[in-house]
Amino acid sequence: MSLDLAQVAEQIEGMAAKLQAGQEERRQKLEFALNTLLSNTKKLDFLKQKVETSKTTWLVAGLVDSLDSHIPAPSCPNNFVVLATDGSHIDVDRHRSTRCFVINIGVARLDYGEKPAAFLFNLPSLHFDEAEVILSSPDGTQRIEIEGQLLGVKRTIEECRILTELAEEVESNLSTVALLDGSLILWGLIGQSYPDFVIDILLKKGLLEYLGKLRHLAQTRQLALASYISFPRSTDVVNVLRLAICPYQPADCDHYCADKFGEKGCDKVAGLLDRELFDCLLATGERSAVFVSRSSIVREHYGEHRVYFFYLKIGEEVARLEVPQWIAKDKGLLDLLHSVVLDQCRRGEGYPVALSEAHEKAVITAQDREQFWQLVEKTLVMEERLLRTSAKSWSKRTRWV
Amino acid sequence: MTWGNVETLVKIGEVIEASGSQFVAQCYKLHQPPPLGSLVKTKEGSIEIYGVVFNAETHSLEPGRRPIARGSEEPGGEDVFQANPQLAKLLTTDFGALVVGYREGGELCHYLPPRPACIHSFVYLCPLEEVEDFSHSLDFLPLLVETNLPMPVDEVIAACFRYFSQAHADRRTFLVKAGKELALLLGGELKRLNSILRKLK
Repeated sequence: MSLDLAQVAEQIEGMAAKLQAGQEERRQKLEFALNTLLSNTKKLDFLKQKVETSKTTWLVAGLVDSLDSHIPAPSCPNNFVVLATDGSHIDVDRHRSTRCFVINIGVARLDYGEKPAAFLFNLPSLHFDEAEVILSSPDGTQRIEIEGQLLGVKRTIEECRILTELAEEVESNLSTVALLDGSLILWGLIGQSYPDFVIDILLKKGLLEYLGKLRHLAQTRQLALASYISFPRSTDVVNVLRLAICPYQPADCDHYCADKFGEKGCDKVAGLLDRELFDCLLATGERSAVFVSRSSIVREHYGEHRVYFFYLKIGEEVARLEVPQWIAKDKGLLDLLHSVVLDQCRRGEGYPVALSEAHEKAVITAQDREQFWQLVEKTLVMEERLLRTSAKSWSKRTRWV
Repeated sequence: MTWGNVETLVKIGEVIEASGSQFVAQCYKLHQPPPLGSLVKTKEGSIEIYGVVFNAETHSLEPGRRPIARGSEEPGGEDVFQANPQLAKLLTTDFGALVVGYREGGELCHYLPPRPACIHSFVYLCPLEEVEDFSHSLDFLPLLVETNLPMPVDEVIAACFRYFSQAHADRRTFLVKAGKELALLLGGELKRLNSILRKLK
């Protein structure tokens, strides 16, 4: 039987009522958070030191500039290029006869100014060789299959690799902004304790290598890179305020507050999101101060590509842009990024048009997936290869009573 | 005699749908379909298939992605495309042509060909010399008059006569001849005949 929507509808009404009731409490929290932020703007060095020395159970942003900085939009160059890649994939299906996956990277290059042009295409690739679908330790004793979350990481790396190739093809006299969708931080590698060789292959010899190439390119031309996060749910900056409220110096959550539930001083701002804070602090078109990510993977492995981020208010939404350190420290490139992303959002009804077009080219529909597996199986049958699928997979595809 | 050798003609589009009596072609250039009523041709093996353009349409390449208004801050219509270069890649102009005859081995036939056009065949706009050659005989007229189209077929007939007449040195003589042929075909439909003839100026 399919989902009984009548039953769910009642529960949806209950959810809406509860959200409505919580709005006033949220507004008060936000007001308190803003007051806290504004009263701490002159204590930047004190807060910086507290951030660096505290031990918290939540992720806190590293501080660079004043918390309440708000920078108006610089003007856009006359001629510029926007590059974007976005990807989707067909994951390994363990119920199928063959172990393989597909990565489809959508690509957009948009040229603005005297010679407007657009190049939109996609690059699908099938991965089936053992070397492509399995990560092996150098001594060959450990093997990890690429699927699920790790495939998401591999896809991000492919997006960056192709973005790098695109950037290399742009004429060096054109200001260029290269955009990725999502985060520069490979969150998929955190949480599960992957062996070092996984980090080595995917991060050091993967993402960071391509970021290095982009940095090298940026030394001879005006090239800015960012990953764009729409409707971000991060709380790194709100957590700075938690530290500002915290009476302990330095803070140590496990030591001082391990047994306190819902009664800690810093709970007064808990649950707020950075985007809610910056929605109040920034005027439309303005960007926030730059912050540094203090996530463990970034601190331990990113080196010269350490991830910085800032927020940008675009009409109704606040987006988060993540950039490597070499962009964050170059005001000219930050300004280029700021102006071009804002312009992209203006042309794209609130979302960067290049990312939107890259996404359109990357999309793999449910029908595409089914057709892909049918094609795989049909081709293997024609090649007279042994074909075995699981009984569960067969049962899903042939529904009977 | 072979007219308008395809090697010397500029291709304007490519067949994307074909039946025995019609074909639809996608233009290579956005917003640049051949004129209504003009003569185009495509190839199927050794056969050149002729069609009269009866409609053109510009639409989104992807179903479900409708164009939205973008020009509120642009001074001219062309500026919208300059400011949004991706549009030219996301929109396409198609045109439909009614098959009105074919040429095989140099022989011109004003009736339906043995096979429809091939998908992805190139489509060419016939030069006026070829239009003149094709329209020496108006035996193709029943194919136009008796067709069912999603648009007023009489508009297509009138546009075709106006376009073809430009290829003839004595334009008026051609139009008089075409009008007479039409009168024979339409028989008692005097109102319809008059309506078409009034559009030939």
